[in-house]
Amino acid sequence: MAASPADSTAVKSSLFNALFSRPLPLYLSAFLLRAILLLYSLWQDANSPVKYTDIDYLVFTDAARFVSRGESPYARETYRYTPILAWLLLPTTWTAGAQWGPLAAKVINTAWFSSGKVLFAAADLVAGWLIERVLVMGTDFPAQEEKKKETEGEEKGGKTGGGKSNDGTAMAPSRARAFAAIWLLNPMVATISTRGSSEGLLGVLVMALLWAVLSRRITLAGLLLGLSVHFKIYPFIYAPAIVWWMDAERLADDRIRSPSSSSSSSTSTSSLFRKMKNFLTLPRLNLAITSLATFLSLNFLMYALYGQPFLQETYLHHVTRIDHRHNFSPYNTQLYLSSASTPLPTSSPSATAPLGQLKIESLAFLPQLLLSTILIPLALAKKDLPTSLLAQTFAFVTFNKVCTSQYFLWYMVFLPLYLPRSSFLRSKRMGLSALGLWVLGQGLWLQQGFELEFLGRSTFLPGLWAASLGFFLVNCWILGVIVGDGGR
Amino acid sequence: MRERITFVQKQGNSIEPTTLKIKSGVLNGPEIQAAREDRLTIAVDELPTDLQALLGTAHELHIRYVSSQPYEAITPLLARLPPGFHLFYTPAREAEATSSALCLTLNKVFGNVQCETPQESFTTLPRDRFTHSAAYQYYQQSVDFSPFIEYAKQKLCSSVKDQSCAIRVDSLAEASTLDISYDAISHAVKLTAAWPYQKREVHATSRPQARTEVGVLNSDRPGHLEPHEVGISGLLTVLGQDEKPSATMFAFASRHRDAESSFSAELLEPTGLHPTLQLKLESNKPPTEDAYCSPHAYFTLPKTIFADRHQLSDDLFLTSKNLTGLRYISQPVDLEAPEYVEKRWGSALLLELSAPEHEKSESWTAQVPLHLRYLSPAEGGDTDIEVPYPAVFWACAAEEGTKFPNNPFEKVNLGYDGLFGPRTVFWHVEPRPEIGSQLTNTIKVPVLDTDKAEWVSGGTGLAVLLGFAWIVWKLFGVLSKSGYQSQPAQATEASKTKKKQ
Repeated sequence: MAASPADSTAVKSSLFNALFSRPLPLYLSAFLLRAILLLYSLWQDANSPVKYTDIDYLVFTDAARFVSRGESPYARETYRYTPILAWLLLPTTWTAGAQWGPLAAKVINTAWFSSGKVLFAAADLVAGWLIERVLVMGTDFPAQEEKKKETEGEEKGGKTGGGKSNDGTAMAPSRARAFAAIWLLNPMVATISTRGSSEGLLGVLVMALLWAVLSRRITLAGLLLGLSVHFKIYPFIYAPAIVWWMDAERLADDRIRSPSSSSSSSTSTSSLFRKMKNFLTLPRLNLAITSLATFLSLNFLMYALYGQPFLQETYLHHVTRIDHRHNFSPYNTQLYLSSASTPLPTSSPSATAPLGQLKIESLAFLPQLLLSTILIPLALAKKDLPTSLLAQTFAFVTFNKVCTSQYFLWYMVFLPLYLPRSSFLRSKRMGLSALGLWVLGQGLWLQQGFELEFLGRSTFLPGLWAASLGFFLVNCWILGVIVGDGGR
Repeated sequence: MRERITFVQKQGNSIEPTTLKIKSGVLNGPEIQAAREDRLTIAVDELPTDLQALLGTAHELHIRYVSSQPYEAITPLLARLPPGFHLFYTPAREAEATSSALCLTLNKVFGNVQCETPQESFTTLPRDRFTHSAAYQYYQQSVDFSPFIEYAKQKLCSSVKDQSCAIRVDSLAEASTLDISYDAISHAVKLTAAWPYQKREVHATSRPQARTEVGVLNSDRPGHLEPHEVGISGLLTVLGQDEKPSATMFAFASRHRDAESSFSAELLEPTGLHPTLQLKLESNKPPTEDAYCSPHAYFTLPKTIFADRHQLSDDLFLTSKNLTGLRYISQPVDLEAPEYVEKRWGSALLLELSAPEHEKSESWTAQVPLHLRYLSPAEGGDTDIEVPYPAVFWACAAEEGTKFPNNPFEKVNLGYDGLFGPRTVFWHVEPRPEIGSQLTNTIKVPVLDTDKAEWVSGGTGLAVLLGFAWIVWKLFGVLSKSGYQSQPAQATEASKTKKKQ
């Protein structure tokens, strides 16, 4: 990742200054990157039978078209998202009025149709800006005023910022922008959103959630948490980390703290009860209630509007899906194998189904949820909330029963917050080997996948299986390092 | 019970009436080049009781079996379908759709018909007031016919000793098509078998208690023939009644015509999981200049393979494949499910092809992009599946006001006819494989190799456990070193790292 400020030769440092010392160059280049990709997508889609635009974008826009006709977005098969997404994309269904000539009308229609990609790309930029805000704000807490002074001081005190290690306190804006560039100028991120994938929306929601939490806007955080879980389920893993993080000391909430401390001195209440009472702070209750209320009311609303198909497609589908098609998940081969063998139990007597037949895939949620909702938040959230969220997301994606490259964006958005303090930046060799192994792991898998998908070779075993396990172990190693870093 | 036996020759090949010898219910004639069609019409109360019970639940039922052996069809026996076992069904009451009675009886009569109930296994056909399609469609690629032949021998032949009857029923194995049609209005079952155009002896015997009519016909072109009509002439005899054949000539409107060209279908290599079926048509010229015509291909794809209607909606993509558009696809087609959980038989689709325009007639190709479902794991890592040829025809619009009343050789309810307007004429292109001798193509589908699957469960579990343990170990390190609280010592840690850098 090009933005490491540590290795600053003269040339690099001047480039660094040019790009990051002011906000405009970075955001302009991030904008231009997406604008060029978007225009290119229009050209390729219009001129080649092989499309740049992702099939998902056609699913979203088809669903939006159903909505524009007053029908349910779930009338479009494989639409498995919240109706909000289809509503947001309603402009993609708009067309030019009759007053326009045929050429102008075509341009206008194309522009409207692409408006969803513009939205996703804009979400990328906002997420990047929020990353900068969070880095500048600092993730740990001296009092707000002090921090402000510190940042200002840094800003005045020169742009190098290179040698300064960030330990949770504020970061110079130029340096923060350099790290935000990992997201903003990342070709993978820009490509995914200009192809029309909605992951950028999740990026902005999740980053806004973190920003709201760190700046003590608890009600806003609750709203964002409820909304993002409604959008894509997985952000529920952030709830325990945030709740754990927002202890009374951190939130400096005197009204709650003083009565509890006084009671401890005067009475003989059991310590467990006292602990529980201490744990149930007003902000925690506020977060729990606002997020739950947001999540539930959105679901009630959608259920009232679209009924059972909403529940089936957005939520229940994830329970019943088989995930037999090849993907990065370590469980994939096992899932394919067992999904095909379950309908035939009648032929074999019960005696031939020993303990060895215990289905590991039915226990897959255990390591995944243990790590991402309990163990990682418990160990890391109070020390370094962004790194905890990164590690939780990384664990969730790595141990998931289905995993495609779009899921990588879920954790990538947190990388700029973690990397400044990471072993991967401190040791160049370690950083490069992690990146190299991560890319190589995917490369090997993709090569096997290509042979299967396009050449028709049966590479399920051992090729794809071994490649997915290899990639899984690489990810586990990286996650272990992240956990270690987060605990320092 | 009535029986009609027809020998059909091509135009210009007729036989002299004197060459036919009729004697005590048996007709004998010379060896001629002809197709043969036998039609047996049986009233419902003459049927075995189990079939009677079954038909009682049906408003209409059409079973059409088409051989996967290529055959030459001649006027007027032209209607074509993809090879395989087709079924079109309208239940008498909607409740029948959830009953397994039909599928059980089909299994009894035909052997291995793999359906459960119409609702689960069949697809529904579009119906409006203009079309007369049946409600449900079912298709299966390969059906072994020996169980049906055994069943028919038992039920149709009066005794085991009736050798000639047994021989006739046995000959169904060589038929190119077999149709069993019932509708509640006529209250009769028509069993129609046709044998390909080849050298055969004119020979027919009457059945006891059945009126048997024999025709030795050829297509003809009488002077007053309209463009949408076909003409027939030849000799008709009612066995046991006529002593010599009577000459006949008649013309009728026909929706099925011969385009007098051929096509073949083959898969482009490598097939992968997204095979492309390439149709190669001999001619890009429409069969008639009098009407607007456009080439179409009608597919019945077993559930192992399917087309994605969303992929087939982009004009640029379609044009690059010489396709005009997807005109119909049975709904729903699950785009994700593996073959082994899919209960529906598969999908039917109608594609309009786009013939390149050239002055002189030349051959051309169209590519049909398809997708394979995941199949069950198997030994060796691959499983062969068969993809049937489509029915390819030019659909031409007959003149305004043209009527197509039923003709004696007409077939309706073919799956695609209901998708067109009532004035459409189908000019059939003959399937003639360039490779192999069957109207199917074989795809080797990669599947998980069960020979190597022994270690999957254990290996996956071990890897997950290893990864999990490593992370838990790191988490344990963090917790044991500094607990779960935020670190006040962070500042010193940070200064250490500062020094390092």
